[in-house]
Amino acid sequence: MNQNEVKIHVGHLKKNFGKLEVLRDINLDIYAGEVVVIIGPSGSGKSTFLRCINGLEEVNGGELLVDGVDVVNPKTDMNKVREHVGMVFQHFNLFKNMNVMRNLTLAPVDLKKATKKEAEDRAMQMLKRVGLEDKSHYYPGQLSGGQKQRVAIARALCMVPDIMLFDEPTSALDPEMVGEVLEVMKSLAVGGMTMVVVTHEMGFAREVADRVIFMDEGYILEQGTPEEIFTNPQHPRTKDFLNKVL
Amino acid sequence: MVKIITNYGPLLITAMGQTLLLALLGLFFACILGVVFGLMRVVKNKLCRAVAAVFVNVIRGVPMIVLAYFVFFGIPYMWNSILKMPNRITLTALTAGTICLALNCGAYMAEIIRAGIESVDKGQMEAARSLGLPWWKSMQRVVMPQAIKTMIPSIINQFIITLKDTSILSVIGFPELVNTAKNVVATTFMSTQTYAIVGVMYLIVILALQQVAKILERRLKYESK
Repeated sequence: MNQNEVKIHVGHLKKNFGKLEVLRDINLDIYAGEVVVIIGPSGSGKSTFLRCINGLEEVNGGELLVDGVDVVNPKTDMNKVREHVGMVFQHFNLFKNMNVMRNLTLAPVDLKKATKKEAEDRAMQMLKRVGLEDKSHYYPGQLSGGQKQRVAIARALCMVPDIMLFDEPTSALDPEMVGEVLEVMKSLAVGGMTMVVVTHEMGFAREVADRVIFMDEGYILEQGTPEEIFTNPQHPRTKDFLNKVL
Repeated sequence: MVKIITNYGPLLITAMGQTLLLALLGLFFACILGVVFGLMRVVKNKLCRAVAAVFVNVIRGVPMIVLAYFVFFGIPYMWNSILKMPNRITLTALTAGTICLALNCGAYMAEIIRAGIESVDKGQMEAARSLGLPWWKSMQRVVMPQAIKTMIPSIINQFIITLKDTSILSVIGFPELVNTAKNVVATTFMSTQTYAIVGVMYLIVILALQQVAKILERRLKYESK
């Protein structure tokens, strides 16, 4: 994989909900294999930014290229883009009407990415990877939060994505289940997946991130290696934020 | 009472058959209208949503008896005498009745379907979309199956209301149960007995329908485990 390949290019990105400006001027390039962790106070636009990348939110201005595809252009087929951009949500969002196996195979089979057999084989591989191969016939309601989130990660991986977006993946979990989810994410990062992670887990950011981004009020105020951000933050807002959370 | 049953029982049962026929036809088309307009109310397109909202509000705002007169008398008159179209039309009471029930029940069904879809957590749709599934596929595979579970009791309730609403269509001369009962009373003068029998007949059919609903609900609940 070419380390200098730009996976996501963001230029002067703007997004507002009515009169509320959520993203004011976001500029960022994310490279192949990079793990970018976005931190910042609530309401700073972190999640909205993430949701713009796969088109769950419509952008109001600026440039946004994902794998060279212009996602701002309304003519772009976002379904094609989303097929290789996996997303993991805060509240898991497993399909409640299906068991784990169906959750994992629905999209690959329906979108004709794989035959049923291939999709099921891959689903079992992914379940092994997240340590849940014995849960394939369970319904989401029968799983713990941590298990649900690991299934959600496996579900995204079944589409063979080359970018993974994580929207506060551990925020809705009981504390003792945070670790198992972070472990899975760590193994993905080590495996060379391009990842954009919005999180409040500063330990994870420090240990796994290639780059940490601090966002506030719709701007990227500061970015750098975890070392730079956590031990020597430059911007007063960053210092203030880190003082409160660390 | 016995005299009514022995002399007019078969007639009343035939009339009940007509009531059920009308109700089933009406419900069939109402389901189609309900799904179409219900979905139109949740899509992104503003024009679609507005059209569906107008349909629902107009139908809900007009009493069914007015709708029945309008469809049965008003529309053919408009077509033949006001617009002076070359091919004259007349509507049978069954056709007009079916149209009325379909429109009326369809509007309420649209609301039930909209509410059912909106009761499903938005995250379900987002998760499906994030995997690359198109809107319609996501709706079909993920949102609708979950929405239907919450909709079943309201839909059955609406079915019962519609079944009873067929009696309104006696005003356009459809030979359903109430209309037939009126004729029986006109010849026998036994209104107490006749209407009591008719009431019981409705009650039996509706209680049976409720039992079906119960079984259906139980089965759906079981499946979700």
